[in-house]
Amino acid sequence: MPDNLLNKRTTGVNPTWCPGCGNFGILGAIKASFDQLKIEPQQAVVVYDIGCSGNMADFVYSYGFHSLHGRALPVGAGIKLSNHSLKVLNIIGDGGCFGEGVGHLVGIAKGNHDMTVLTHNNFLYSLTTGQKSPTTPKGVKTPSTPEGSLDEPVNPLGLAIINQATFVARGFAGDIPHLTQLLTAALSHRGFALLDVLQPCPTYNQDRPYNWYREHIYKLEETDYQPTDRLKAIAKTMEEEKLPIGIFFKESKPTYHQQINSLKTATLISQSNGTVDLTSALSQLR
Amino acid sequence: MAALNWKIAGAAGEGIKIAGLIMSKVALRSGYFVNGYTEYPSLIRGGHNTYQALIAETNLTAPQIKLDLLIALNSDGVNLHLNEIDDHTRVLANTELYPNQRALNLPMSGMMKNTFALGASCFFLNLELTSLNEILKESFGRKGEAVVTENLATAKLGFDFAAKNYADKKFPKLIPANTKKQIFLSGNEALGLGSIAGGMKFYSAYPMTPTSALLSYMAKKEAEFKLVVRHAEDEIGVINMALGASFAGVKAMVGTSGGGFSLMVEGLGLAGVSETPIVINLGMRPGPATGMPTWTGQGDLLFAINASQDEFPRIVLTPGDLNEAFSAGRLSQIWAQKYQLPVIIITDKHLAEDYATTQIFNSTWQASVETLADTSHRANNDPFERYADSDSGISLRTLPGQPGGVQLTNSYEHNRFGYATEAAAERKTQVDKRFKKVKTVMADPDRLKPALYGPKEAELTLVSWGSNKTTILQALPELPEVNFIHFPWVWPFPQKEFGELIKGQNRFATVEGNSQGQLNRLIRQETGFAIKDQLLKYDGRPINPEEVTAYARQFIK
Repeated sequence: MPDNLLNKRTTGVNPTWCPGCGNFGILGAIKASFDQLKIEPQQAVVVYDIGCSGNMADFVYSYGFHSLHGRALPVGAGIKLSNHSLKVLNIIGDGGCFGEGVGHLVGIAKGNHDMTVLTHNNFLYSLTTGQKSPTTPKGVKTPSTPEGSLDEPVNPLGLAIINQATFVARGFAGDIPHLTQLLTAALSHRGFALLDVLQPCPTYNQDRPYNWYREHIYKLEETDYQPTDRLKAIAKTMEEEKLPIGIFFKESKPTYHQQINSLKTATLISQSNGTVDLTSALSQLR
Repeated sequence: MAALNWKIAGAAGEGIKIAGLIMSKVALRSGYFVNGYTEYPSLIRGGHNTYQALIAETNLTAPQIKLDLLIALNSDGVNLHLNEIDDHTRVLANTELYPNQRALNLPMSGMMKNTFALGASCFFLNLELTSLNEILKESFGRKGEAVVTENLATAKLGFDFAAKNYADKKFPKLIPANTKKQIFLSGNEALGLGSIAGGMKFYSAYPMTPTSALLSYMAKKEAEFKLVVRHAEDEIGVINMALGASFAGVKAMVGTSGGGFSLMVEGLGLAGVSETPIVINLGMRPGPATGMPTWTGQGDLLFAINASQDEFPRIVLTPGDLNEAFSAGRLSQIWAQKYQLPVIIITDKHLAEDYATTQIFNSTWQASVETLADTSHRANNDPFERYADSDSGISLRTLPGQPGGVQLTNSYEHNRFGYATEAAAERKTQVDKRFKKVKTVMADPDRLKPALYGPKEAELTLVSWGSNKTTILQALPELPEVNFIHFPWVWPFPQKEFGELIKGQNRFATVEGNSQGQLNRLIRQETGFAIKDQLLKYDGRPINPEEVTAYARQFIK
């Protein structure tokens, strides 16, 4: 039972992010969204990847698993299969989700595993002092690409949509109320939800401060766009002059765990203890 | 020790394995013990495949070389096995298609030549055709009535042909025993059943010989035992997903071979530092890299013990037979939970994929074991000390969903709450806490200890691990001057028990399926005791009892 009506949302550990870091806005949206959904600290598991975003592990008060670089998604999917009554939120960066762990994104999105993936997309590897990331635009000079990156950037939302994610959205870390709405929608969605968050990095990405984003984004819900068509959604992800934020695509399909026979009536953990009877399996070995 | 050694050899795709399994079941239900052995290349069609069934009056634990009956479905079926046959061997082949002076003609052709061969084999081995018919019905029933009828008719043709033409070549009948309490299964199945008996609920894997069949077995059993079985995107996904499932409270296991295990190593370290229970089945095959996928070897012992950067406690098991595979599977599930560490079960292709008879396992098992904290009295706003220091090294844990137990499990070095730390004292406390578990583990009442087989004192003591156990045990009756120490558990190294076992013995030799003598090195590393002589085999084939006998005899005066 909760001790009081207001749930504790943060630990006693002070955030270590740089002043002005986009992560503060994202943390604010997480707290607000958990409050709106009345999620108690023991009812959610936040799985953290490695990076500035993952360092949130020490600051958020809920069950948490701080995993390896690129590996948050399989950990999150395993948690959900073990106990599908839990709300699972994965906190990961552009490097972890679209680089080191991109195989997991593809493998898990297409199964419609019921969890939210919140990508802190700052277009750089900031924790390791600003090298290029999978989303860094071509030509950008970074410590690992002093002559300018030769790679075209990954299209994160397009990747998720093509790979059968059932909720795909983009938010902006500098608009906490809007981001909170998107996160609440993502957490309420039954199935695999990717919420890619445009995140300013005032230390290493000075090309894109808060004002740059404010001048280069627009809200999909302020247009007549409907997030129901996969092809139109992919086209939206390719807009570059102005970056749309909001819900790009959403559909309703059975989740992974809903399709597993063993989990039709109860969680795996609730069926975990007690006596095991091998009689019939042994009789097949004669 | 009367036995008949039967083999069927032909091209991949000709139904060699299914024929071998059917033959084995016919023999088992007729009152005989069976040891099955397969060889096949990493190909779907065309390569040379064999299945050998040693049918015996008593339980023989390892394959033998010399054949009594060889069914060759093509020329290679004879030519590649010349060293396994002698004047006494009956060799059966379709000599019209594959002329061979050594072979008796058996006119097998078409899709069901394996069934024809099975019918003929029943005649030669004094097995009832009705018994074969029963197994054929069970094996092909799901393919429909027509397929069953055709197989039964073909088996009868084979039986009748042999009876008419080779009445004088029939073997003397083996004396049947009561084998009603025997089951016939592979090491993969024994390990799988043991894991289920231990309460395993989540199994994830990516197919890789020789543990692909364990993935298939678990998947087949998913509904029956209410499991979740996931063939994940790659081995990195496999282990991290299993760690997630384990963190949330179910007993989780993964299976792979050396290549996949290499990919899992970072996840292994995550299990170590985050103290998340996990069981890993490492089924060895010759490597490195892709190696010889469908053959056997024991080259991964030191890798399993040392894999991952930095240090953390783990348990490494090396079961030697079906019974030990079952126990290792069951106990690993319990130990991983109890001690919150990774348990690695090493098998090899020979143990994992070969079939044998063994005494039926107990059918009912208690799977509950928990190291959960009672947090009913705790305020939900107080973070739980996930990594509290303790004398045993074990910190009680809580599971997501549990009020009053909110905690952080962390891959970073952490303080007692799980929050990341770089403080010198906290780092040292946590490293020491984790390693206190070694002493706790070594005091476990069910720990698998090295054991001595054969005479109490001997001229020569063979020392080995893993699947060599069955081979050496089969050789021992021929070697009254030799005894044998088997390691079913290698890590943490059982220094005390090994020290007691070697007292009073005279001369030693290690027996291993690798080129550098890895157990030999481990013994020297952990005890300072150097064993000079070694029987090493690393050609992809299991060590044979005959090789052990010949090797040991050089030391006997």
